[in-house]
Amino acid sequence: MMDIQTLAQQILASDRKALAQAITLIESSLPIHRLKAEELLGVLPHSQDTVRIGISGIPGVGKSTFISQLGSWLLSKKKARKIAVLTVDPSSPLEGGSILADKLRMQELARHPDVFIRPSPNLGTLGGLARGTRESIQVLEAAGFETIFVETVGVGQSEVHVASLVDAFVLLQMPSTGDEWQTLKKGILELADLIVVNKADGELKQEALRMKKMLELSFSYHEEGFHPAVLTCSSLENEGVGNIGEQVEHFIARQKSNHQFLERRKMQNQFWFEEELVWCLKEEMGHNPHVKKLIDPLRNKVRKGSLGISAAARRAVELLLH
Amino acid sequence: MKTFWRSDWESLAKDELRREGAESLSRESQEGIPIQALYSQDDLDAIGFVESFPGLPPYTRGPRASMYFNRPWTIRQYAGFSTARESNTFYRQCLAAGQKGLSVAFDLATHRGYDSDHPRVPGDVGKAGVAIDSVEDMKILFDGIPLDKMSVSMTMNGAVLPVLASFIVAAEEQGVPQEKLTGTIQNDILKEYMVRNTYIFPPEPSMRIVADVIAYTSQHMRKFNNISISGYHMQEAGADSAIELAYTIGDGIEYVRLVTERGLDIDHFAPRLSFFFGIGMNFLMEIAKLRAARTLWYEKMQVFHPKDPRSSILRTHCQTSGYSLAEQDPYNNVVRTTIEAMAAVLGGTQSLHTNALDEALALPSEFSARIARNTQLILMEESDLSFCVDPFGGSYMMETLTRQLIDKAKMLLKEIDEAGGMTKAILAGIPKLHIEEAAARKQAKIDNGTNTIVGVNKYTAPTDKALKILDINNKEVLQAQKASLETLRRTRDEKKVQNALMQLSAGASDPHANLLQLTMEAMRARATVGEATEALVKVFGRYQASSYSVKSVYGKFMKDNPQFKEAHRRVDAFNRKHGRRPRILVAKLGQDGHDRGAKVIASGLADLGFDVDIGPLFQIPEEAVRQAIENDVHVIGVSSQAGSHKTLIPQLIDCLKKEGAHQIKTVVGGVIPPHDYEFLLSQGVGAIFGPGTPIPECALAILNLLENQT
Ligand code: B12
Ligand SMILES: Nc1nc2c(ncn2[C@@H]2O[C@H](COP(=O)(O)OP(=O)(O)OP(=O)(O)O)[C@@H](O)[C@H]2O)c(=O)[nH]1
Ligand SMILES: [Mg+2]
Repeated sequence: MMDIQTLAQQILASDRKALAQAITLIESSLPIHRLKAEELLGVLPHSQDTVRIGISGIPGVGKSTFISQLGSWLLSKKKARKIAVLTVDPSSPLEGGSILADKLRMQELARHPDVFIRPSPNLGTLGGLARGTRESIQVLEAAGFETIFVETVGVGQSEVHVASLVDAFVLLQMPSTGDEWQTLKKGILELADLIVVNKADGELKQEALRMKKMLELSFSYHEEGFHPAVLTCSSLENEGVGNIGEQVEHFIARQKSNHQFLERRKMQNQFWFEEELVWCLKEEMGHNPHVKKLIDPLRNKVRKGSLGISAAARRAVELLLH
Repeated sequence: MKTFWRSDWESLAKDELRREGAESLSRESQEGIPIQALYSQDDLDAIGFVESFPGLPPYTRGPRASMYFNRPWTIRQYAGFSTARESNTFYRQCLAAGQKGLSVAFDLATHRGYDSDHPRVPGDVGKAGVAIDSVEDMKILFDGIPLDKMSVSMTMNGAVLPVLASFIVAAEEQGVPQEKLTGTIQNDILKEYMVRNTYIFPPEPSMRIVADVIAYTSQHMRKFNNISISGYHMQEAGADSAIELAYTIGDGIEYVRLVTERGLDIDHFAPRLSFFFGIGMNFLMEIAKLRAARTLWYEKMQVFHPKDPRSSILRTHCQTSGYSLAEQDPYNNVVRTTIEAMAAVLGGTQSLHTNALDEALALPSEFSARIARNTQLILMEESDLSFCVDPFGGSYMMETLTRQLIDKAKMLLKEIDEAGGMTKAILAGIPKLHIEEAAARKQAKIDNGTNTIVGVNKYTAPTDKALKILDINNKEVLQAQKASLETLRRTRDEKKVQNALMQLSAGASDPHANLLQLTMEAMRARATVGEATEALVKVFGRYQASSYSVKSVYGKFMKDNPQFKEAHRRVDAFNRKHGRRPRILVAKLGQDGHDRGAKVIASGLADLGFDVDIGPLFQIPEEAVRQAIENDVHVIGVSSQAGSHKTLIPQLIDCLKKEGAHQIKTVVGGVIPPHDYEFLLSQGVGAIFGPGTPIPECALAILNLLENQT
């Protein structure tokens, strides 16, 4: 078994292999690994001077390509020194396996010496995804990666989690003027700090511009408060990506000057504590024989229909807390 | 005598079937076309069959009226290896032994526009084709071969400009003017993005290059086929006959549109368009495919209003399917190739390549090449196959099948039209996805025994006696090429070269320049293939096609297979024990663009529960190692088909050691001749999986390897 002190040392020295193995440890489903991971996270420092950028959007919208371009831009403009990218791919619900292909579209970035890219399977659980990603971010930051990208496929609920992991949440959109954009979950749009209409090239360019207009219009109906900027770019042709980089920079700078930056992280910590608490309780309830004994009779009654569902749940909580 | 009807036959046949426990009088082909047990006049009536004749529209029955009656098809064996000198010797032997035309196979460094001394290609030089760096090599390649008489076909797409230019200049310096050259340049870039993977530039400039080549040759080389629109590679990558047919015709139309949009008259270039199809083991379907292709091409070309009948006549080369040939019990391959060759001939091909029996092991040896050539000579000169034109014409079955294939292809083409034509569809990844899905399905059907492959999944032979195969010493070739490159660069007029290269770069940004003409100047001044390519890369950039993966197709067809279930269980157990799934990086190293095996393995292993990282094409060992370490995989699985394993695998393992990644194992799959196994194992390879290995077997062996040491 790995010695945690040594591993921590290597991580601080930004050793690629150690970083990779630490992330594996964090993602492991074995309880013993969990303890080790917690131990590791306990000894690693928390760096505050980092920027975490979340990139989300439907499959194929161009997230990986966009990250590759934006990352390369940040490096070439010396706006970032070391960049890490965490991507999450869906595991098959049936067979459990996954095909991790995001790196294919980040080859230029992946070759850079100061870049670390790690694709992960989402393991079928939202909680697992977010926990692994959150802790991996901490490890990477400890190793001096001060710009962190998180790529996730946008599927409803997961956005909330990812948005709560990052300092800037960028939502990528496909250009389309059809009805589709209207069906966009309003809730998701409101999570975004920045909206990017990607693939603004070739024949799609006009549509992308129209899409941008429509999105801006739809925001202007909400009178007050913050409106995310809407921008267009072509990741494929590397057009407008630098501009988006600058917008992200402005956003972060504004957050910092408003003291929103650290405030947001604090809120996120609290959010995650509460999430973790629920997960831990759930897990405990799954494993603990004592709990099982208390709850099983109620479960049976609910199944038979002799007790109402919510009444049974309330009763269960009462039993557990006494 | 009483008259009988189809219904009489049908009830009789159904009775027989009932007694034998069978259900239906029709089975479905892989294209989704019902193949009936019997066809009759009713079927011809149903399709509205109209009699037609060879050499006359719509050319279903053949492009020429007399077909093979007086002039048989051309025996054209695709070959090339090692240095130009060695390939030249081989060509001359073949011509002396009855071969009628040449077909040059270039090595992968040349295909991808790299000189032999480029750091990304050391494993590929001279391995899977002949290494050509300049006009000097080209002159040696055709030394003593009269280029005014010998037709030469060249499979070149990505680096078509410097290679075709070198050919023209070499001929010119041999005293043969360009207008006398006969032969074919493949020049079909669309299928490179789809399946063959030797593209260099992005699609848009690549299409311009195709058009420049067509424009130049149709003016100055009137006897030269300016393109070979190829479906063969699609079939080899997994496409069924309908997909192959549809996308080939689709590509053809796309090229015609491209060139006519440039203002060239259709009749000026269309008679010189040629085609290339693959011929697999579905004998009847493949004959129907060639008949369907001619018909469909004729139909589609009418939109362009050609006046010259030759503009809408599809002439084609064919190659038997290498994919259908097995490593196991290899003499069976002669039989398979014979069946396929017969289909090509009965379908009315204009020229033919027959594969050698050691296809799944290495490039052909002298022996296996002779048998392959003789297969055609026997069909041509011993049998009566060529006496009669389109002997299947009018057959209830064949005419019905031909029509059904045409209809099926039209449906596929509709999808392409909706996507905005072939180029756009390819960029969106539509055709490739269809082809890979078909490949995964095919693999599953072999692995679960639905499709029989004699000697592989049924009737296996006790032990094979090892064949003597061709082994190319790639280090020697590399040295020789480096030496001649050095001489070339020392003795040429450097200023002239640089000037010509600058003109070429300038031409790249000038849409009115003809890039073939400019490249000829550069090659004449003794620029190298790599330098000419680099001059264009400066303006166009190097392209990497994006790639998608099919999921759950393999698993769906395998879910009841006992070995699949066992492997799945073992993977789950691994997951429970180690806290994560076995994770593998499926890597492609060097310029080897064969990705069918890698794709199939990746999706198969994922369906078995592995976490699979896909490496990009064209990685060098250092890049693969970095990816493996960052992703913290348990094992790197290199998929190698183009023969660079003896150079690149030791490099990979060295690099893993250097990085201290001792925990990462290496396995290798693909075309690895058995006599290389020991060497690779001694280098530290954990397991080797040759052609024909079922995917669950690979999975189990990998798990064994991992469990033994963790
Ligand atoms: C299909 C094919 C093609 C297709 C490729 C399509 C594609 N996108 O993949 C096309 C027609 C385009 C093609 C082109 C060429 N080909 Co080719 N091709 C083949 C062929 C016929 C079959 C390979 C194949 O896909 N088989 C099906 C797959 C599923 O099987 P597989 O790859 O063996 O994989 C199985 C196992 O090996 C194992 N496996 C493989 N990889 C891995 C990885 C892991 C991790 C694991 C666990 C297992 C595993 O599992 C798989 C399932 O059983 C072989 C001959 C043969 N029969 O093997 C020649 C062959 C590989 N080609 C050859 C050559 C020379 C070429 C060219 C270079 C010719 C040229 N000079 O132009 C070109 C260039 C291609 C390029 N860009 O690299 C030579 C290579 C010679 C050598 N090794 O010395 C071969 C051997 C034919 C020959 N005898 O001449 N080819
Ligand atoms: N035309 C165009 N295509 C793009 C652009 N960005 C990405 N693409 C293409 O879109 C496809 C998907 O790109 P990815 O970067 O893999 O998209 P993704 O959102 O990361 O996809 P997943 O990770 O599978 O959800 C690829 O074929 C890209 O080449 C763009 O700006 N314009
Ligand atoms: Mg992605």
